[in-house]
Amino acid sequence: MKDVYILAIESSCDETSVAIVKNGCDVVSLAINTQIDTHKKYGGVVPEIASRMHTEAITVVLEDCLDKAGMQIKDVDAIAVTYAPGLTGSLMVGVEAAKMLALIYNKPLIAVNHLIGHIYANNLEDKLEYPLLALIVSGGHTELLVMEDDYKFKKLGETLDDAIGEAYDKVARVIGLSYPGGPNIEKLALKGKHTYDLPKPVIDDTYDFSYSGLKSAVINLVHKESLRGNSIRKEDLAKSFQDVAIDELVRKVELAFNNTGLNTLVIAGGVSANKYLKEEMEKVCHKHNVKLLIPRLLYCTDNAAMIGAAAYPKYLKKEFSDYSLNVCSRVDIV
Amino acid sequence: MYTLYIDTHYIKLQLVLFKNGKVEDEIIKSDGKHSSYLVSSLKLLLERNRVNFDDLDSIIVINGPGSFTGVRLGIVVAKMVGFCKGVPIKVLSYLQAVALKYDKEVMIGIKDKNGVFGGKFNNRHELVGDYFYINNKDINSYKDILIDDEVLLDKVYNFMLNKRSINPHVVKPIYVKKIEVDK
Repeated sequence: MKDVYILAIESSCDETSVAIVKNGCDVVSLAINTQIDTHKKYGGVVPEIASRMHTEAITVVLEDCLDKAGMQIKDVDAIAVTYAPGLTGSLMVGVEAAKMLALIYNKPLIAVNHLIGHIYANNLEDKLEYPLLALIVSGGHTELLVMEDDYKFKKLGETLDDAIGEAYDKVARVIGLSYPGGPNIEKLALKGKHTYDLPKPVIDDTYDFSYSGLKSAVINLVHKESLRGNSIRKEDLAKSFQDVAIDELVRKVELAFNNTGLNTLVIAGGVSANKYLKEEMEKVCHKHNVKLLIPRLLYCTDNAAMIGAAAYPKYLKKEFSDYSLNVCSRVDIV
Repeated sequence: MYTLYIDTHYIKLQLVLFKNGKVEDEIIKSDGKHSSYLVSSLKLLLERNRVNFDDLDSIIVINGPGSFTGVRLGIVVAKMVGFCKGVPIKVLSYLQAVALKYDKEVMIGIKDKNGVFGGKFNNRHELVGDYFYINNKDINSYKDILIDDEVLLDKVYNFMLNKRSINPHVVKPIYVKKIEVDK
């Protein structure tokens, strides 16, 4: 079969990225322009600024990707783009650019869900074999799914309130760490001990998660200690928070291993870059003889290569979009 | 000799195809859904005139002021054509486009929902000072402002004819209204 090259665009949050991916698994080239340093000044992503920066960067990143690949746009077979979920204004820049490439070069246009992209990031490392368990952990989502085949999902559970990444960011802010909060909590936790008694999120036998109680407990604790004139041991609080937050994921994943008998676990989303999460998942997977797939750091964070990987099955099925494709800030996988 | 004009700065979406300096065809949509219609309207405009992107000699794109998102969409479309096909891009503010009708010093205002974008132009149609935004409640203090949002396309074409084009990488909108984090 002829090789299939897909040019993919990702602009759902604060990274402008363009990639060319061969057959859904080989990254020919990947270019990323991150806005983190700009948003750091504001303590989080400012949607309007993100949209402006995507507009300025889009052709520069596209050129960078093409130069690295030594390819021209006319040589690719399709154009893929993240259309949801994410920041509306940011998504629009990528979608409009992708539509124009599809129009100018008369290529099929493929709309990709960002979260599904994170799952397919694992296909860039090791071929996904179905059925498998997929755990999505990001700033906007915490979900546990069974993936029966390409694009065939069954939801086991999801967060009832905050996503784990959101909880990390809010806790980071409360204890005075800069954006992005997740990696900073993780760094600080390495130096701390689990000394603070924080509530476990959901003690039941469902696959649902909850992080707002844990987040509120940290906020209340910091507030109370401040009123009493006591200082917080930030390292210990970071460690205590992280232990409880990750333990909740491990517990639900283990429940799914026991109930489903599936023997592959895929972890996807920005929080999958967390090393402590990786270590704990390695332990539980080893215990249950389950194959664990977590992408390397480059593919854990937002990137267009994962969008190119997720677009490939849609290309094979000819699931193409027309030029009326619109963005969607919130969308479920199932 | 084809020139494409793109205006997405507010609710109206206007695409115009000039041939040898005359309006050959245009598409106007007035429902504000630029993200749904911009690319398909462009495709329709070119196809029904049997024009390819390679046939374009230049693009004139309105770079604001107006709806942040609306302006951005037009700019992205222009940038992609400019980058992919090497078509020179020329940018023009909508206020300046309106001012081209007047051969005297004039302060032009264009309305949006909450106020008026303004700019003062000399008799050579050059901007004097900076663009500004006035909230509706303060508009009465600007006695000299002329509220007008009509553009004469032949004036735009002739004014832009000898303007320099801009590298697609650096084409960007003008943002006049302050956003919350800048206040």
